Order: sequence, then C-alpha cells, then structure tokens
Amino acid sequence: MSTAEPTIDVAGLARGFGDRLVVHGVNLRIEAGQIVGLVGANGGGKTTTLRMLAGLLRPTEGGGTVLGQDVMRPETAARQRIGYMAQSLALYSELTVAENLKFRAGVWCGGERGAAMAIERYGLADVAGARVSELSGGWARRAQFVASVLHAPDLLLLDEPTAGLDVRTRRDLWKWIGEQASRGCAVLVSTHDLHEAEQCPLILHFRNGQVEGPLPPRQFLARTGSPSLAAAVLAESGG
Amino acid sequence: MTWRIVLAIARVEWLRLIRSRMTFTLLLLVPALQVVLFGLAIRPEAARVSVAVAAPTPESAASVVGRLDADGRFRRIGAVGAPGSAANAVRQGVAQIGLEIPAMRSFANPGAPIVAARLIIDASRPTLTSAAEARLLARYWQDKAESLDAGGPEIRIERLFNPDARADWSFLPALVGVTTMIGMIMLGSLAVSREREGGTWETLQSLPLRPVVVMIGKLLPGTVLGSAQGILVLIIALTAFAVPATGSITALIALTPLFAAAHLSIGYAISCAARTQLAALQGGVAFYLPAMLLSGFLYPFETLPRWAQIIGNAFPLSHFIRAAHGATLRGDSALSVLAHGLPMAAALPVAVALALAIQRRSR
Repeated sequence: MSTAEPTIDVAGLARGFGDRLVVHGVNLRIEAGQIVGLVGANGGGKTTTLRMLAGLLRPTEGGGTVLGQDVMRPETAARQRIGYMAQSLALYSELTVAENLKFRAGVWCGGERGAAMAIERYGLADVAGARVSELSGGWARRAQFVASVLHAPDLLLLDEPTAGLDVRTRRDLWKWIGEQASRGCAVLVSTHDLHEAEQCPLILHFRNGQVEGPLPPRQFLARTGSPSLAAAVLAESGG
Repeated sequence: MTWRIVLAIARVEWLRLIRSRMTFTLLLLVPALQVVLFGLAIRPEAARVSVAVAAPTPESAASVVGRLDADGRFRRIGAVGAPGSAANAVRQGVAQIGLEIPAMRSFANPGAPIVAARLIIDASRPTLTSAAEARLLARYWQDKAESLDAGGPEIRIERLFNPDARADWSFLPALVGVTTMIGMIMLGSLAVSREREGGTWETLQSLPLRPVVVMIGKLLPGTVLGSAQGILVLIIALTAFAVPATGSITALIALTPLFAAAHLSIGYAISCAARTQLAALQGGVAFYLPAMLLSGFLYPFETLPRWAQIIGNAFPLSHFIRAAHGATLRGDSALSVLAHGLPMAAALPVAVALALAIQRRSR
C-alpha cells in the first residue's frame, strides 16, 4: 500500500436484509493510523458496516476500496491485512488460550513462535494453558483481542471490544488499540461507552441506518449543541 | 403457579419451533417422506426375482419356462441356455436364481442318467431370494404331485455366497456403510451450524482462508474418524460374526475414507444451509432416512419400483452396500469392489460445490 492511499475509501455503501435496509449512505475515507469510534443506538448499522468493511457481507449498493481492494469483490488474500474482533466471544471454548492463538498464528504464518510472543507481550501467560470456557469474560476478551492483532494488521475492526469489561481491562484494551494506531494501523471501534468514544480523534455517528462523519467529537458536539457525546447521541436518537 | 410457568415455557418453545422455517419444514418433510417411501416404494412382497434357466435342449425346459413366465414373481433372463450357464449367471450376478434342468430319461433317450435338477441361489441377500426359493420349491412339489410322477428328477438346492442363508452375513457388511453414513452426516451437519451458534464462524470467515480450504480442514478429522468407525464395524463383523472375507477386503477398506468424506461433505452442505444445530440435525435425518430405505439396506433394492431405484442409485450408500457384499460374500476382485467407488467419488465434488455455493449465497 502506498502511503498516499487511504486505508478505507468507500462511498454510498448500503446493506439490507430482505426488504429491510439496515444501513445506507456510508461514505468513509480513513487514513492509516487513524482511530475512529462508531457510536449510535442499537440497530443503527454499526456492526453491519464493520462486517461489510471486513468482507463478511457484500454491500448491496455503493463502492470503493478497503486496503486497495474492491469492497464489492474483496479477495480472500486481502483479509491478511485485516484484524476483526466480533461482538460475540469468538474463540474455540474447548481449546486453551495458547491453542487458540497458535491456530490464529498458524493462519497468519506466524506459527508457534508468534503465539508465544503475543502471550508474553499481552500478559496472558497465567491463562495460556486454561481452556477458554474456564476464563472470565475479561480474560476471554483480552485473548480475543490478541488473536485479532497477532498478524499486525493494517486495518483493525473492533465490534464493541470493551462491552461488559472492568475498568482495568478497558484501560489495557484502549492502550493496545493506541499502540496499533501508532504503528500505522487504522482502527474502527464500535462502542456504546461514549466516554471512551470521546477519546477517539474521529467518530462516526449511526442513526436509523444513516451515517454522519467521520468528524472530531468536538465538531459533532458543536453541531448538536450538546455538552457531551452522551447527551448528543441521546438527543439525536430522539431521547 | 407451576403450570403457568410450564405453559409459558411451552409457549416460548412452540414459537421458537414454528418460527424456525427449516425446523418446521423438516418436521413436516420427514414424515411426508416416510409416508411416500413406505407407501409407494417399499413393497418387498412384490419382488420380481430374476431366474436363468439351462437345459440340454430348449424343449426339455419348455414346461418349466412356461410356468415361470406365467408367474408374476419371476423375471426370466434370456433364452434357455446350455447346461452350466444358469449357474454361471448366478455367480456373475446376472441372475438371482439359476435352474439347471438335467437330461430326462425317456423312450427317445433311454440311456440318460437320473440326476437331480439344480436350483442355484444367490444367497448373499436371503431376504430377496428366500421367498422365491420357497415358491419355486412349492411349485415343483405341487407339479410333481399333480402329475403323479414320483420317478422324475429330484431337486437339489445350492446356495452360493451364503450357504446357510444367514441374514446377519447379509446385514452386517451393509451396516458398515450405514453406521459410517449416519455418523458422518451428523458430524458434517454440525460442522458449520455449531460454529455459527458458538460465534466462531464469523471470525473464521474473516480470516484470509478460502472457503474450500476451511471446508477441507474441517472435514479431514471427521474423515479419519468415520473411516475408523467403518473399519471397526467391519472387523467386528468379520471376527465376532464370522462374516466371510472371500473378496478384496483391502479394496473395501480403501473405499471407506471416500465414502466417509462424501457423507461429511453432504452433511457440511446441510450445515451451511441450516441456521441452527437443530435444523442441521433434522436436515441430516431427512437425508439418511431415504438413503437407508432406498439403498437396499432395509429392503432388497430389486423390490423397489423403477423410480425409487433411480433415486436409490443417487445415494452413495447403495453403492457401498454392493461393494461390501462383493468384498465379503461374493468374492469380488479389488477392481470390482473399487468400481463401486465411482459414484461416491462423483458425489464428493457435487456436495463440496453445493456447500460452497450455499456459503457464497449467504454473504
């Protein structure tokens, strides 16, 4: 990827399920190293947008590129540069943390060494031998995050990574997200924690399937005349 | 109070069932299939057994041929052959019963020795031929009694492949295929649906892996397990039940992984189409129930109507059962046994292509 090429450059993306249009008019230009928070009410289209950008769902309308690949016809190889963390716990519960990471590292051609290094680097040594089904939610989410960044992706798509986590785990995850961005990875994070979202340099606001942004949180607050992101999102969603 | 809770749970369960389109469809489809198959296809009493007749001259067999042709239960194969040809037809699987009529002593042929007529029976599937054997014998003794000819030739029965007409010798080789099929269909049908419900499927799809690579990776362990399962059943049949191994058992063992992989792939395709594990398992039942009924496992293949035989031949199980009977009872060569693998080899890419197409459509 050339340095001038944006990580994401899409316009007019839309996706429906049956007769129901879930999201439309997604226009995004995201550069390398940017962190974008996806905020908005449930059902606003955040997850659907992340899944379209990850190549898991084909948009019904629109076009553009993600990491230089046509978003309408993404090639399997392009996913080599994408890290995706689903909203639900997506590790094999019968396997240990180390076995899960070894599998992922194997897919990314990092092998056992890559998994061992990640376990050390992200402080998972104490739980490496434990089955995922035996872990607390916090440790499982940490392991899931590590699994999605093992290959040092150029684009990281995180779907509510901090939902239901304690303060310490949230702090660690945001620290690691910052580290990914500082090495040039573009990060899109969906969250319902608007205090967290306010720390993002850019936000995308989803409302009834429509998207506003990306724009700095301050700019969004100025437009809505709200004192905080929480108040702004609540006002915009009709609360 | 308790009943109110029970009813509340029952109501939720009911709504979940009827709102899962595939579950509901299969709940109706499976009984409908059973009704159609049992009602129209499964009529073992209507079996038409193929009979080859051999005699020194066509004239000497004229009365027998006339009676066979008039009996709706028998289908005579070709013209009256030379002595020995009827027995060969049974050995080669062309006819299920062979009748070797000896030369008769008469005024024109006073020197002919009195020898017994031979009834040669393919006993590898006794359920198919035992009724025909009894019917032929009854007719023979009836004719003899009516003609008051106590001095005619006796009849000697020779059962090929399974001399004691043991039902277990016929059933157990087929069971190798049935157990493998059911195990693999169930395993395959959970392959994707279990991951989908567990939340790992989406992540797996987000990795830089081609769907066919994921599929092969997921099916390999199952193929090993399924092969081991089939071979274990075969070993038990050969050792504990003394099923003979007159043909190429090695070729049958070589076919087992192909057979297992074909059914895993079919199960995988069902799994790709199903939204839930319950629906996937029901889809599996909807596949293997007709396979068992139309493959010759429960009822002889020859007893099925033509349309049911055409459907039956589409199931790999039908071909595996023929291979298993060939390798154990009929003394088939490795080449003959392996030849039954061609339809299985054809089913495999069809199921793979179907699974991948369903996966592509769901994006």
